[in-house]
Amino acid sequence: MTADTEEISVRLVALLPRLRRFARSLSRNQHDADDLVQLAVERALRGAGQFRAGANLAAWMFGIMKNAWIDTCRARGRRAEVALPEDSGEHPAVSPGDTDASLWSVSEAMSKLPEDQRLAVALVLVEGMSYKEAAAVLEIPIGTLTSRLARGRSALAAALSAEAPA
Amino acid sequence: MNYDDETLMAYADGELGEPLSAEISSAIERDPALARRVERHRALRAEVAGAYSTVLERPIPERLLAAANGSVASTPAGAPQRRVEVLQFPARPAAAEGGRWGAREWAALAASLVLGMLLSWQFIAPSRRAMVTASNGALIASGALARALDSQLASTQRPEDPVQIGLTFRSQDGTYCRSFTLRRAATAGLACRASGEWRIPVTAASATSGGGVRQAASPPPVVLSVIESRIAGDALDAAGEENARLGGWDPKRN
Repeated sequence: MTADTEEISVRLVALLPRLRRFARSLSRNQHDADDLVQLAVERALRGAGQFRAGANLAAWMFGIMKNAWIDTCRARGRRAEVALPEDSGEHPAVSPGDTDASLWSVSEAMSKLPEDQRLAVALVLVEGMSYKEAAAVLEIPIGTLTSRLARGRSALAAALSAEAPA
Repeated sequence: MNYDDETLMAYADGELGEPLSAEISSAIERDPALARRVERHRALRAEVAGAYSTVLERPIPERLLAAANGSVASTPAGAPQRRVEVLQFPARPAAAEGGRWGAREWAALAASLVLGMLLSWQFIAPSRRAMVTASNGALIASGALARALDSQLASTQRPEDPVQIGLTFRSQDGTYCRSFTLRRAATAGLACRASGEWRIPVTAASATSGGGVRQAASPPPVVLSVIESRIAGDALDAAGEENARLGGWDPKRN
């Protein structure tokens, strides 16, 4: 490891709880989320030379995770076309640690969103990024981010209120 | 005046510029239906953020610690009480040539990380510079950070202290939490007292202070949102902070 890689490695460990939270908001269970974190961390350390000193490490990592997640979804989609003609519940929504009812219901609602809306919701609502920061991570114009976020939110609100009528 | 949903969403998120933001603020006071629409955006945001905040508490699997440390996960599963040094604080410029770590320091750190992964904590001397360690999947404050969290008061700290304490507050489960900034590492975070240790659920890059100007004590938004999801009531004032320290950060003693 070079000195720069080492420095990033040290800061990555401190970021792990947040990387797991972001990954968990993209995938339906903690196991898939941790696979995504591991893949992204390995890619980040291999590409550590591309990280500009002084840049926001979390934003850089979220970008790597976004790409890794899209790759994973595409690979899974291809597999699903071959092996799983319909949703057969191969990926259980509830992992053993998910005793938290609110996490369970929000995860369910999030999993129904299209990927692009879910990424926008995850970065802004879960990770607390500004619209500008989230648009930069997703490499899209801010207007596109805003409309994905608005559509994602209204779908989420509908799903959550359908499940638990007030 | 009718506002579309995207505009109200941006208003609720604090993303709207002036004069539109002020215009909506005053429209809300006259129009309860508009106020309810904004409130629904805020409530959804709080619900989603709150649901995922529990993930920050979960034990971090060994394979992720190993991956982030750049090593292959080769340690036996389930080995108890393994501690890994994770965030080291750069030595004072006097000790490291040119103010930055040289190859020797980084090599020593790399060696200690690998050792930390492979050996149980009892067999290696804890580095006095380690600020954060991982223990059984939780990130724990140690070294100078743990000492500052134990004893430093925001009301009496000096701007040159390496750890700057921000807010101290009681969380909803009664325990004490304190936000902090590591000046040289440009990292901010939150630490909460549990089982006699300071656990660290969140860290983020802190704004780097420009031209030696003292930076404001306001934590980065992501740390702030974790604070908001936990805080019970208001942050402690100087007297409350000192009382909590006198009580050893024990929730039952104050």
